[in-house]
Amino acid sequence: MKKTRRWLPGARWLVILPPYAWMLLFFAIPFAIALKISFAHSLIAMPPYSDLITWNGTGSPTISLNTANYLFLLTDNLYYKSYLSSLEIASISTLLCLLVGYPIAYAIARLPTSTRNIALMLVILPSWTSFLIRIYAWMGILKNNGLLNNFLIWLGVIHEPLHILHTNVAVYIGIVYAYLPFMVLPLYTNLVKLDLRYLEAAYDLGARPWKVFLKITLPLSRSGIIAGSMLVLIPAVGEFVIPELLGGPDTLMIGKVLWTEFFDNRDWPVASAVSTIMLILLLVPIVIFHHYESKELESKLT
Amino acid sequence: MASEPTAATSASANGAGGAVKAGRLGAESYVRMENIRKEFDGFVAVDHVTLDIRQGEIFALLGASGCGKSTLLRVLAGFERPTLGKVLVDGQDLTPLPPYDRPVNMMFQSYALFPHMTVEQNIAFGLKQDKHSKDEISKRVAEMLGIVQMTKFAKRKPHQLSGGQQQRVALARSLAKSPKLLLLDEPMGALDKKLRSQMQLELANIIERLGVTCVMVTHDQEEAMTMAHRIAIMEAGRIQQIGTPDEIYEQPSNRFTAEFIGSVNLFEGSIDEDEKDFVTIRSPALEFPIHVGHGLTGFEGQEVAFSLRPEKVAVSKEEPGDPHNKARGIIEDVAYFGSHSVYHVRLPSGIKVMANFVNTQRWASERFTWNDEVWLSWGENAGVVLTS
Repeated sequence: MKKTRRWLPGARWLVILPPYAWMLLFFAIPFAIALKISFAHSLIAMPPYSDLITWNGTGSPTISLNTANYLFLLTDNLYYKSYLSSLEIASISTLLCLLVGYPIAYAIARLPTSTRNIALMLVILPSWTSFLIRIYAWMGILKNNGLLNNFLIWLGVIHEPLHILHTNVAVYIGIVYAYLPFMVLPLYTNLVKLDLRYLEAAYDLGARPWKVFLKITLPLSRSGIIAGSMLVLIPAVGEFVIPELLGGPDTLMIGKVLWTEFFDNRDWPVASAVSTIMLILLLVPIVIFHHYESKELESKLT
Repeated sequence: MASEPTAATSASANGAGGAVKAGRLGAESYVRMENIRKEFDGFVAVDHVTLDIRQGEIFALLGASGCGKSTLLRVLAGFERPTLGKVLVDGQDLTPLPPYDRPVNMMFQSYALFPHMTVEQNIAFGLKQDKHSKDEISKRVAEMLGIVQMTKFAKRKPHQLSGGQQQRVALARSLAKSPKLLLLDEPMGALDKKLRSQMQLELANIIERLGVTCVMVTHDQEEAMTMAHRIAIMEAGRIQQIGTPDEIYEQPSNRFTAEFIGSVNLFEGSIDEDEKDFVTIRSPALEFPIHVGHGLTGFEGQEVAFSLRPEKVAVSKEEPGDPHNKARGIIEDVAYFGSHSVYHVRLPSGIKVMANFVNTQRWASERFTWNDEVWLSWGENAGVVLTS
């Protein structure tokens, strides 16, 4: 390919500028601040951390990087346990979301065009009410004398109320419920584009419906599965409200740890270190996702 | 299902030409569609279709879009259940069977090659659905790749292939299971014009060499004529005529087929004399009577149409000697095609007649030009009398 000079006319800069400005303003700068704080000392002052750069009497600056916050995360196994437990809860929730969301997305994609938008609306509609209120509502449903238990006792399925609220089960229910639209939407956009002739061709070649799903539909919807899973997994790892409201004392999630460090212990440097590590952990799946995306895009262009 | 290719009945891979090819086919019916009717929400897509297709035959369903030909193909494949009627292949009633249980394979219109599988995996897909050993499958795949000359491209993905190559793979995939019946849905639809004529012959040759019975659907009459042994012309869900390509062209059985295939001059008229060995037709469009060199029996006085193909009409400056089968007119339009020219001649009655003139000599077309007065004439067996 011929190399052309990378020069962009003025109007193109204008188009490219907003996303870069957005990223700089709302991602890069806040992250740089958090990173800076994570290398500081905790102080009882306002702000509650030390400066990285100190000016001594002769006027030359001294930079002191305090790595103790990171080392501290290693010494106390609460942190690595919370990271692991967060990843575990988020991964299992993502899987559950996929299992619930895939059939929903598939069914919507196969609906006649006129009813499709209504069905999609129904998926999105709950998100129009406050997230907090919806999670509170789940407390009412799941508690010992809540809707679910009363209903099951009334049916005669159980005699003692099930202890669901303030356990990990409630956290799973909450996360799956709250993040389901983020799984359904990318899956739907993928499945609705699926060329039905591929399915017919597979039937024609002797594949039974279940085999057609496994060999054709599922692999062809891979990019939708990856996109949906990322959209659920990444925010679920750092989730705070759901484990706080629905989880129990043994629900360990990094979001809760972060809250404790930040507000209860007022240890901003440690809290910053916790969030920096979390970001690095989440960067791994994002990079993998991006790698797949660009590979797929490349293969489509060639 | 059989893993070996269907025994090629009497296949040899020479040339085109309907009449020659039809000679070596089994005479009995191998695929039978019996009184098929298909309705969609009260709309009748296919009605009263009965078809008998011989073993090893390439049979084309030809018609404009919406004529029901694709519905008929989908009924054969099993994607549509007929409202009425039966589909029999090799004596077996397929009507209640789902597509995956039928010994029928289809090459889809734009091939529908699985984009996430390589060429090899695409061809192996059908074989994997039956319990074959890995060795058997890879042997058969290699064989199919050889037949369509795609061995070099076995590891490629469909999007890395050209249109013609994709078509070969699609053909190999649909033939890999040695179906009793092969269906082709607009096989050349996705190819550009130049590649089309080449692939038409190549596809027909491969299908004939393997001796597979084949039903194809097309809206392109040239394609049907080159590839098929027999053609069924469909209109509004019904079959208008079945015949070899030359039968359909030279002996259309009704006005629709005559007008649908190729171009034609139609003269409305009535039968004047109906003798044992000739017929005379009077048409208000023509000054002179039409003389047909064979009897019709029982049609005297009836309104008919006389169909005359443009290439059967001769153009001259001098008046022909015969007292019939001629017309005088003025050249109104000339369409020059290089190999031949088409003259549009306006008769005194106002009717326009097309006449082809083959340019056998260089600059021959310069002999006639716009506004020339010319005589048109034709032989006594040049046209067809259509009674319906």
